[in-house]
Amino acid sequence: MIGSPDVVAFTKEDEYGETSPDPWALPKEFSVPLHPPCDSNPWSKTSYAKFTKDFILISEFSEQVGPQPLLTIPDDPKVCGTFDLNYFSLRIMSVDYQASFVGHPPGTGYPRLSFVEDSRVVLGDSKEGAFAYVHHLTLYDLEARGFVRPFCMAYVSADERKIMLQFQELSLRFSQASECLKSGNRRAFAKELQRKLRDLEYTHSVLQREEGLQREAAPQSMYSAHAVEKANELANVEKSIYEHRDLLRQISSYHQRPRRDPNAVTCHKCITECVSECEKLLEKYAKLAKPFTYSDKGEKGEDGQGQIDHEGGEEVDAEDDEGVKRRPSYTPQLIKAKSAKCFDKRLKTLQELCDDTFYNATVELLKDTERCFRGDLSYLHTRRLDRALRKKLRVTNFLFEEDLRDDDEDEGGTLRPFCAVNHAVDNFTLTLNPPPIVLGPEPLELDALEPPDPLDPASETSHTHESELGLVESHLESSPSDQTLETQESSEETKGSFSSDKSGLGQAEGQQNLAMTSEGPDPDSDLTPDPDQNTDLERESSSEDIETTAGEDEGDQTPVSLLEVMSELEGREDECEVVTNGACEVESDLLVPLDTACCMAQEGFLYEASAPETVPRFGQNSNVQHDQTLVVNQEPQALLPLQDDYTVGSSCPESPAAGLELPVGLLGDAVSRTSVEDGSDCTMSASTGSDRAASPLGYGGVVTLRQRKRAGQGALRFVRQYPFAMQALWCLLSGRTLVVLGADEGRVRRLVAALALFVPGPGKCGERVQAWLSCPFTLTDLQRWKLIGLQRVASPVGSSMLYSLSRYSRYISILDADQKTLRCPPYHGQLLANIADHRTYIRRGSTYFLHLQSTLCHLAAKAFLFTFTHHLHLPVSFTEGPEVVEGRRRCFLQEQLGLGEEDSRILLYLSQLITQQYLQPATGSGAAAPCFSFNYTTSVFYKI
Amino acid sequence: MSRIIIIHSYSWEDKDIFQAILMSSGCPPQSPAVAKSEVTVEGECPLLAATFAYWDNILGPRVRHIWTPKGDQSMFLSDGEVTFLANHTLNGEILRSAECGAVDVKFFVLAEKGVIIVSLIFDGELKGDKNTCALSVILPQTELAFYLPLHTICVERLKHVIRKGRIWMQKGYNIISVLSLEIVPIMELLALMKSHSVPEDIDIKDTVLNDDDIGDSCHEDFLHKAISSHLQTCGCSIVVGSNPEKVNKIVRTLCLFLTPAERKCSRLCKADSSFKYDTGLFVQGLLKDSTGSFVLPFRQVLYSPYPTTHIDVDINTVKQMPPCHEHTYNQRRYMHSELSALWKTDSEEDIPPETVIHTDETFTPDLNIFQDVMHKDTLVKSFIDEVFMLKPGLSLRSTYLAQFLLLLHRKALTLLKYIEDETQKGKKPFRSLRNLKTDLDLTVEGDLNIVMAFAEKLRAGLHSFVFGKPFYTSLQERDVLMSF
Repeated sequence: MIGSPDVVAFTKEDEYGETSPDPWALPKEFSVPLHPPCDSNPWSKTSYAKFTKDFILISEFSEQVGPQPLLTIPDDPKVCGTFDLNYFSLRIMSVDYQASFVGHPPGTGYPRLSFVEDSRVVLGDSKEGAFAYVHHLTLYDLEARGFVRPFCMAYVSADERKIMLQFQELSLRFSQASECLKSGNRRAFAKELQRKLRDLEYTHSVLQREEGLQREAAPQSMYSAHAVEKANELANVEKSIYEHRDLLRQISSYHQRPRRDPNAVTCHKCITECVSECEKLLEKYAKLAKPFTYSDKGEKGEDGQGQIDHEGGEEVDAEDDEGVKRRPSYTPQLIKAKSAKCFDKRLKTLQELCDDTFYNATVELLKDTERCFRGDLSYLHTRRLDRALRKKLRVTNFLFEEDLRDDDEDEGGTLRPFCAVNHAVDNFTLTLNPPPIVLGPEPLELDALEPPDPLDPASETSHTHESELGLVESHLESSPSDQTLETQESSEETKGSFSSDKSGLGQAEGQQNLAMTSEGPDPDSDLTPDPDQNTDLERESSSEDIETTAGEDEGDQTPVSLLEVMSELEGREDECEVVTNGACEVESDLLVPLDTACCMAQEGFLYEASAPETVPRFGQNSNVQHDQTLVVNQEPQALLPLQDDYTVGSSCPESPAAGLELPVGLLGDAVSRTSVEDGSDCTMSASTGSDRAASPLGYGGVVTLRQRKRAGQGALRFVRQYPFAMQALWCLLSGRTLVVLGADEGRVRRLVAALALFVPGPGKCGERVQAWLSCPFTLTDLQRWKLIGLQRVASPVGSSMLYSLSRYSRYISILDADQKTLRCPPYHGQLLANIADHRTYIRRGSTYFLHLQSTLCHLAAKAFLFTFTHHLHLPVSFTEGPEVVEGRRRCFLQEQLGLGEEDSRILLYLSQLITQQYLQPATGSGAAAPCFSFNYTTSVFYKI
Repeated sequence: MSRIIIIHSYSWEDKDIFQAILMSSGCPPQSPAVAKSEVTVEGECPLLAATFAYWDNILGPRVRHIWTPKGDQSMFLSDGEVTFLANHTLNGEILRSAECGAVDVKFFVLAEKGVIIVSLIFDGELKGDKNTCALSVILPQTELAFYLPLHTICVERLKHVIRKGRIWMQKGYNIISVLSLEIVPIMELLALMKSHSVPEDIDIKDTVLNDDDIGDSCHEDFLHKAISSHLQTCGCSIVVGSNPEKVNKIVRTLCLFLTPAERKCSRLCKADSSFKYDTGLFVQGLLKDSTGSFVLPFRQVLYSPYPTTHIDVDINTVKQMPPCHEHTYNQRRYMHSELSALWKTDSEEDIPPETVIHTDETFTPDLNIFQDVMHKDTLVKSFIDEVFMLKPGLSLRSTYLAQFLLLLHRKALTLLKYIEDETQKGKKPFRSLRNLKTDLDLTVEGDLNIVMAFAEKLRAGLHSFVFGKPFYTSLQERDVLMSF
């Protein structure tokens, strides 16, 4: 009977097969895998490294212990994990290419310093899954072998491609850091030489005195062995003095040598300073034709030591500036005949080798570099491309994109145009050949190299002329962050003080001018009453005539005040157009050289575009005559200058609390005097809610990409939770103000932050969004803000707020965050179906944000097309009337772009904003005041 | 006169002594016989030299062969300098602990010498011993910006020739003859790219997109198909034709849809003579010969990192290769087949021809690799329709193009992120393609292909991850069926 073990022997076919492999089969190590692991997981390529994320490693080739790691950035052991830094340091330092010969070359009497250029190497350890960009540099140390200390800075990553594809950016960054270290090191080296020279001179004087004494004591022409020894010692010291003086001369001539490295990054300010300081030193020691002045001085007094010290101190005091006095004077020391060059000496740390200022600046720069290159290559790559492309889209960027410059600062996407010690940008040049960037186009960097504002105090004060050689106490120049902070504060203070005045002026102007005009300040503005009084007045007036909402009875009961405003505006329309044209002529040069004729021709379209659509309805639903302008261009008091300088309502206040405070008097007075019928006050209360941090909006900062990404999560939640999200988004995208009503400030703020992503042209600081309002709003506010978070309160103020809501409900949509309801016109389009589908499988807010970005980008592109397609806005022949052109436009929207009526409204609104932005690009904030338009469509009440 | 200094042991302190010895002698100890080949290259070749060095167990780093281009060069390196630099590439490799068969890349920028060196480090058998070897290419540092975009192309091509060379070394044959098979074409490639690469910034006026009307120079659907297929094949296309101006105009047009770095890896055609196809370039213009034909080397096209679109501007046809996952699979099969054929070679004289399709009975590649463009898209279609509505001559079309590209890049990143979320960065298989299409508005197959192609460039292997399994299953089924 056959037992199971016998069977097993025949079942192991594989093993059996292995015993006689095909001799002609290609061995695995010579083959290419048909199914490499990256096929089953494209993310696995970088997953087997022993460190969790990229880091920067500084290593040294120590003459005592060999290659050793010194520092990692970030300085967190978790980052490196179990990765063997010692081994990796050994690996990266063993490819060091420093052809730095130091010593006595043939034919020269003194040791020579060799100024070697940095070398850059990309290498890897495929087994460990670690790859590195390694930047080798040499620092000088008087006590080191050959006076050199080899170091390297390495950017370590698990992704080899990431390093190679960003080689030039890495090289530029690390060159900056290296230059910074080397600048500091040269100063420290010169300082060390100075000390050494003083020691030597002192030693010389002591030896000379001793030798003199011995000579005097000994019989004539007889020299004792001791005296001979002293004489030899003296000669050695003298030689050493000459050698060190020569070293000083060499280090001073560092900048005179031609640079061989076309990729080196040099700060001229650093060079100039260093050269001048070195020259000073050199001059000082070159003066000593007899290098032994110490001995003369020493002999003068009985107590040589004390005298020398004293005089030495004075010498420095006399020669150097005032700053020296704060510095403890150096006491020269006697140098023993045999100086120690052995293993028991302590090597200087990197910090000691470089000036503190420079060391700290370098570390900061490297930290910034680490932050800048952090993350997956695909994201970094797309971000660079994204930025480069957006630079070409200045015309539409304002709609949905964050500010490019702020993105730079926030994301660190580009290179800092400063030298590491924060010298001003105008000193920064790339020597010989600025390296182009591989992934991102060059303009990306070129743009970053734009000089700073000459009025910027940071750039003026960033450089001090104090010595950095150690003769003078080096004052740390303020770090970039400090400067930014100070500058920001000071500028905001200034801005704040001006703007509050200006807002008053703007209000006053608003009474007389139309939206796009900017005339002199109204002298009446000085008559603005006390804010407190004004508040009271307005609160009283706010209880006036309650109106029905448009949804309830439309058209017939158009508020009198509004009609008055409209008729007033109608009369001034011509004036507005003239001014607009003027603005176009002045500003168009600053823009992309598009064809302005297209936009100019659109003015009619701009202000009349919705007429054909709304007129029939208007005719049907109201008794207002057809010839009346149906688009309110501008509320009288809501003028453009006001929009820009109006800090009270804007989201860029000098302090968070102040941002929400309204100088009630100024605005309130203006409002009450302009249109008493409005009957609303503008009192806003500063919120003390605990959940303020929930929203980035309304606290004065520029809205950054990071904040927007965070808001993406809220937007996704909104879309998932509210089945009528699409209607709400349509309101925002078509320019209808959406009011988010709620009792809980945190919830409202979060909702507003999420919905703000959909507000076209929200402004650099989100000026079109009011995250939290605790008071009734006015018609002006509706023109200014497209998204408002409104507090629901039960007090009398609350009732006036409800009144204002009800009064303006025909112009606004109301999202009740507490009841989860929405009142707005119906939307049946398809354009937004993709971003507002509550059944979406998108899991993360960040992914939804990306999806949203591409959808909004698509919308902006369509709006651009619509705006700048000439034949849609210009008559083809003289016989064509505006109706034909309008018909063509509508046909284009419906047939070419396949948009229904409601979807078309989105595009019309975006196009309107683009035109306005194009014609008036210099409003500064990036948020052009949109025309205030409305139409009478029945609102529908949605609830979950 | 060369000197050989052997130092048996040294401490870290002696490193400077080594350097001092090397520097004082001007160059490192030179081995007595370094073979040198001079390669005649048309035009200015930016490459200074290529070297093959290995770590001799007694002598340390040693150069075996030097290739230099013949002709005028902006910079000259003596043989001693070349040897010194080549030796340097092996510094530190005594510590190498890579897996057998791995090819590691080192990239040096040595400002002190004014050169850049690209070294591929690998292990190979020389005279019965395992040695660490380095195949290096030396260029002037001034060519850094020119070279960097081409780095991947050069490295991938050299890696494959090293695979072949290792087999040759294993058999005890001379590796130099195998390495020369790729070193010389790379010299030629760099020389041609120096003179004929597409500029980083393309003026839209030199492209079809500046025409007054879509029908001015191309039939509408041809342009749409060409751009759509070009994008579906990751921006990798060959444009063939008889009229160099026409060819170059299409080349520039296609390059508008590439990144600046990718444009630097694209080549225009030369009016008076025909270039041969070069593996790895993104877009290349190629002229037909006098008979109106162009011979496309099957192997080289298959070795391209991405599938390719074939555009004939004479007859307005657009053909494309299978998508990335199929292309990669075919490529690996072919490589495997080629290496196997080499492994089976009996004599050093018989370096197998580059076309090995007849030498391996187990592998029959599908020679009909260029197929009609099957999948229509809406993204390019609407772009083409719309862009011509904008007035030419202004920057309107450039702006609209930038918007289109921004949209594609963003969609690609969104898709990548979507898959990342769904699969926990590849830890789980991706099973929700239908949801992805709906959620990201990519229900039209052509649109999905375009966005997937963009995403593939961001995350290599994405196609195989998403579509690989069904593809491999169908292949297995086919094989089973054929075995009956």
